[in-house]
Amino acid sequence: MHIPFVSANDGEFHGPTINEFFPPVIFFEGTPFEINRIILIRFLAVAVIILLFWLATRKMSVVPGRGQSLAEMALDLVRGGIAEDLLGKVDGRRFLPILTAMFFIILGFNITGIIPGLNIAASSTIGFPLVLAVVSYVTFIYSGIKKSPKNFFKNSLFPAGVPWPVYIIVTPIELISTFVIRPVTLTLRLLMNMIVGHLLLVLFFSATQFFFFTADGFFKLFGVGSLAFGFAFTLFEILVAVLQAYVFTLLTAVYIQLALAEEH
Amino acid sequence: MSVLAEVSGNIATVGYGLAAIGPAIGVGIVVGKTIEGVARQPELQGKLQVLMWIGIAFTEALAFIGIATYFIFTK
Amino acid sequence: MLNAVFVANAAEESVNPIFPASYDIIWSAVCFAIILVFFWKAVLPKVQTMLDERSAAIEGNIAKADEAQAQAEAALQEYTAQLAGARQEAGEIREAARADGVKIVAEAKDAAVAEAARVTASAKTQIEAERQSAVVTLRKEVGSLAIDLASGVVGESLSDDKKAGALVDRFLADLEASEKASK
Repeated sequence: MHIPFVSANDGEFHGPTINEFFPPVIFFEGTPFEINRIILIRFLAVAVIILLFWLATRKMSVVPGRGQSLAEMALDLVRGGIAEDLLGKVDGRRFLPILTAMFFIILGFNITGIIPGLNIAASSTIGFPLVLAVVSYVTFIYSGIKKSPKNFFKNSLFPAGVPWPVYIIVTPIELISTFVIRPVTLTLRLLMNMIVGHLLLVLFFSATQFFFFTADGFFKLFGVGSLAFGFAFTLFEILVAVLQAYVFTLLTAVYIQLALAEEH
Repeated sequence: MSVLAEVSGNIATVGYGLAAIGPAIGVGIVVGKTIEGVARQPELQGKLQVLMWIGIAFTEALAFIGIATYFIFTK
Repeated sequence: MLNAVFVANAAEESVNPIFPASYDIIWSAVCFAIILVFFWKAVLPKVQTMLDERSAAIEGNIAKADEAQAQAEAALQEYTAQLAGARQEAGEIREAARADGVKIVAEAKDAAVAEAARVTASAKTQIEAERQSAVVTLRKEVGSLAIDLASGVVGESLSDDKKAGALVDRFLADLEASEKASK
């Protein structure tokens, strides 16, 4: 939590603002490679993901140990639950690296939002969701075009089983929904979940601070309530972190599946 | 003409409240129907759950577009 | 309270979270690239090899079990076949023994019959020979006996040898004739 936004001195409550997500630059100010607190958290998350998986898969054995079973369970969520379930064995294996990387980087970046000391989701500035949405976008268009360009565009622009005059209306809608709405919603869903989650947590905890240390007498009791809500929403944020990673990966797989489909 | 009521601050908050009604109902319907489906055919639970998440994701996107419009139109 | 929020907002430089900053995109892309390469080149191949090994091990065990079962079945079959063979052999042997027995009995019977025939034949021959000798002896003795008797009856008249011999011959011829007639 950024203390500057909760200035307890002037006796007024200051809620969190969007500036939470634009902390001061630490390195390389003025260049396109500026590094601020959130970027450092990203580096940390990447390092932790790599370390955990390196440790868990360092000595793979047919009969797994404790760490290996955990890692296998996590990897199997993507392999069995998303890739092979939606894309089948062959295509599932083809797209498994990208789906797995997507899932774990989103999960890792989301979960930093509730880790004490970091306290901000590394995925809560638009660059990260945008990059992943572009990756997803490029992947599903690439897979569709590689399979059969004609089929891909026919399926996505001219859905079967519709009398031809309806295409005048349907085709522009499909065009926008497939090639514009999909990446935009992928980006916004993840970004807004993380921004709103963070703002709620900041709101509850800064309110608790305000009630306990600035407010007078009777109002101090409200602090207990806001603290309880803050705790509840922290738990909720864990759920959201996993869920958003799952949904983002699942939707990418669904888009690939639709692009690979022979007929709608 | 005298001013009877005045809203100070930003009415985007109200706008978001309105924008969230639709997706909220939509998500409710999606989940409710999924539960109904699972109650009828428990063996399809896994498949229905995946479909449910996809459905929620599409519906819920509207709510997040609602949040985003504030930022889009204020710039 | 709302007022306060937006006062604070206006006081600071307003930023819009919808428009990405270049550094944001660059570092996100770098992070994702690192993770992607890590999973692609390091983790997933390892996991895949391990999964393949595991399924191979499971399949190997199943194959081993199958093989063992097949072996057991083959052994059982062989055993059954052997048993059936032995049974058949025993039957054959029994059959042969029975046939042999029949043959032996038949041979023994033949031999006994032949022996009996031989014994009968030799007994007949002996009896014939004994009869012949008895006839000869009898002829001689009966002759002299009859003469003695006749001489005893007739007295001196038959002491003449010449007459006596003729008498005996006539007597015997009569005897033979009567014997022949009686046959």
